[in-house]
Amino acid sequence: MQAFLELDHLTRTFAGTPAVHELSLSVGEHEIVTLLGPSGCGKTTTLRMIAGFETPNSGRIVLDGRDVTQLPPQKRGFGMVFQHYALFPHMSVGANVAFGLETAGLTRAEVDERVTGALELVQLPGAGDRSIGSLSGGQQQRVALARALAPQPKVLLLDEPLSNLDAALREQTRRELRTLVKEIGITTVYVTHDQEEAFDLSDRIAVMREGRLEQLGPAEDLYHGPASEFVATFLGRAGAVTGRVETIDRGRIATCRLAGGAKWKALTPAAGGPPQPGAEVKLLARPEALAFADRADQGTLRGELKDLRFAGSVYVYTVAVEGGELEVQGGADEARLGDVVAVVPRSAPTGIFAFTVRSLGQDP
Amino acid sequence: MSAWSGDAGRRLGPRDRLLMIAVFAILFWAVVYPNLVVLLGSLRGEEGFTLRHYAAFLGTASELRALWSSFWISALTVLLSALIGVPLALLFARYEFPGRRLLGALAAMPVLLPPLVGVIAILFLYGESGIATRLVQDILGLESPPWRLRGSGAILAVHAYSMYVYFYLFTLAGLARFDPAVFEAAASLGAGRFRTFARVTVPLLTPTLAGAALLTFMTSMASFSAPYVLGGGFRVMTTQIFNSKLQGETGMAMVETVMLAAVSLLVLWPLARWEGAREYVSPGKGTAPLRVPVKSRWAAIGVPAVAGAGVLLLVLPHLTLLLVSLVPDGSWTVQTLPPRYSLENYAQLFAEARTFRPILNSLFMAGGATIIAVVVAIVVGRLVVSWRVPGRRLLEGMLALPWALPGTVLAIALATTFSVNQPWVGRFVMVGTASILVMAYTLRVLPLTGRAVLAGFRQLDPSLEEAAASLGAGRWRTLRRITVPGLLPAIAAGASLAFVTGLGEFVASIVLYTHRTRPISIEILSQLRDFDLGAAAAYGVLLMVLVAGAFGLGQRWIQGQRVETG
Repeated sequence: MQAFLELDHLTRTFAGTPAVHELSLSVGEHEIVTLLGPSGCGKTTTLRMIAGFETPNSGRIVLDGRDVTQLPPQKRGFGMVFQHYALFPHMSVGANVAFGLETAGLTRAEVDERVTGALELVQLPGAGDRSIGSLSGGQQQRVALARALAPQPKVLLLDEPLSNLDAALREQTRRELRTLVKEIGITTVYVTHDQEEAFDLSDRIAVMREGRLEQLGPAEDLYHGPASEFVATFLGRAGAVTGRVETIDRGRIATCRLAGGAKWKALTPAAGGPPQPGAEVKLLARPEALAFADRADQGTLRGELKDLRFAGSVYVYTVAVEGGELEVQGGADEARLGDVVAVVPRSAPTGIFAFTVRSLGQDP
Repeated sequence: MSAWSGDAGRRLGPRDRLLMIAVFAILFWAVVYPNLVVLLGSLRGEEGFTLRHYAAFLGTASELRALWSSFWISALTVLLSALIGVPLALLFARYEFPGRRLLGALAAMPVLLPPLVGVIAILFLYGESGIATRLVQDILGLESPPWRLRGSGAILAVHAYSMYVYFYLFTLAGLARFDPAVFEAAASLGAGRFRTFARVTVPLLTPTLAGAALLTFMTSMASFSAPYVLGGGFRVMTTQIFNSKLQGETGMAMVETVMLAAVSLLVLWPLARWEGAREYVSPGKGTAPLRVPVKSRWAAIGVPAVAGAGVLLLVLPHLTLLLVSLVPDGSWTVQTLPPRYSLENYAQLFAEARTFRPILNSLFMAGGATIIAVVVAIVVGRLVVSWRVPGRRLLEGMLALPWALPGTVLAIALATTFSVNQPWVGRFVMVGTASILVMAYTLRVLPLTGRAVLAGFRQLDPSLEEAAASLGAGRWRTLRRITVPGLLPAIAAGASLAFVTGLGEFVASIVLYTHRTRPISIEILSQLRDFDLGAAAAYGVLLMVLVAGAFGLGQRWIQGQRVETG
């Protein structure tokens, strides 16, 4: 995809500590990219650099071929929705939405027309005269969105815009948000720490950790082929067990001997060199990739059932095995607490990932 | 919401009713009654009811001029204070530059100077033989001082210096209440610095600025020290009242008092409504950093330099006071800077009973007034906020009333009311005793403790008291273990402000003191009259240190409590 917004080796340090380090990322036109990561990973700082509220110590921000790194926020023409909306409390809903249009020097008639249009877009028609204080949280969120979209910005930036809504409203709003953004076709950068939100909204997800880009790609790719242990555990659940690589084939599928004796196949990360035979690895397994076996054999891992959790449509069993703890997804009554069970992959290597802990010959 | 705070109000037992009636009666007697006595007194002559005094007032050009002077001086003081305080606050709140923290804290330094102390510090600095005056005179080789610190200009200068702090602190507090993201939102919508200021910053700060303007105007109307010491022939209402009283023209003094109170209340009304009408609360608090680093190289040097120079100007009076306090009596005559320094003046303060007495007096009277005012505020807070008794607005109003009345007005009212012995109408001879000073101080600081403690009560989570009750705690135990500890930050804030105000009190004291009960401020004045500048300055520094100590202690207490309660 042609890069519309490009972040080129952005670094931002606060008092000597890097908040964002050498971050490069390109966003295509009309694309929704989510910056996802735990708090303190640098995602908000990155968004604020794109908006122009923070200046990178080094690196460039390029919009449609033009370097905007040194441009002040008011000259960038990016729309932003803030975490707490930052609506102007002394102005009506209409005046808030009109604010950016007036700075753009539109005529009164044009402003009025665009305000009406923007409010209709966010399904708040006729709310122009209401005061900010009279709005519910969800309505404030819509007004903030209308205000950001009204000047028809080149890029829409959203900083955890749904974090102040309650769970049910959040889910509904994020679907509407995606539909709306796709309808307009605006290039969007979205910041969140909520994995589900990222899955639901994004074309691609940029997982960030400690100021660095950990992995970038569509949600499925990230889920089914995590580049690191962090991505594997941050997106979705995964149990872990230690083992050692015996062989590795050209498709980079590793056959590993686990601490408990069983031999399992696992995917290895695409980036970086694959683990060498003899390397010590950590195997991460998605609960849905595992099942209980009727009897123990060479392919099964024996363990004791420690915990059992009802998760709506399925049950998740926690099994303590030698060298780790695994989670197994199954139906009701497959085992009871304290039972000794045998765990087996459903269709290895799907959902099982091997990450090198120590290569062969490397000092401990 | 429950019986504790429900609109229906708490069902009051007989003892509660008794308490309520007692509080009403005491507040009425102390706050309202003396003012009524003055109002009625201004309408009475030997012949009975008369408008003679008012006719005399309105027929005298100098009286009308003094009233007008009070008004325009106050209006200009508001303007000047805003012009200094608001930009300074915006500078320190919105920009990041080296030395910001220190300079920002120093910018509030004038609060450490009680009114009279501020006036004499400025006198020592810019007065006819002041250090700055002599310095400029020497440098330019002039025969006479380059300026005279006299009249309306001098008063305005002192007012602006001591009152811009209201605008400064109010603006800082006002800015802190908003999600700083609103400024970023404006920028992201294409608004430049000026448009953001005009369309977002100013409108958002309007209620705050109205509050600061109100406080500044009232303080300026009530200001006595500056016009008294620096006014010369220029008279304002407060000095006019004082002179009439001194000359025994009681009728005229009462009319002047009524007129000053009336004008103050007349301005208070619309400004207070303006302040209350528009209260913006911005939802949530942003995580975005509030301050923008100063970027261009010019500004990176220029901003701290200008801020530093400005702040130096603001602390010069403090430094001058300190300097003068170290000058031994009679050693400094014609030199620009004093030739000798010693701690003589300080040793003197504590060596003799005569010089130590005012210190004890001030501590005792300010301390007593603070304790009484805190207790009254707690009782009223309980009646007004927790119990929501009938007539609670009136109660709250009585608590706040002394704030609207200049100190001179209060002093004249007390002096008039409590100079005769008529126990059956609630009048006793208190004049000449320390009790009338304690009463005056208490009234002056009551609005301060009242405001803080009532705000504290309103912030208390009513479910805490309910929780205590559900755990079997009685009313007294709940008050002692839950309510008062929860109020401690508010009490500390109110009490430190009250104590500081009492320590430096001058306006009411000058009307009510006797030699035996004289506070520090009066002693400063008499040392000044004896040209013992060193001793006056030493008292001034002592006050400054006590004020700083009280503020510091209050602040620590407030913060310590906050940490505990989360």
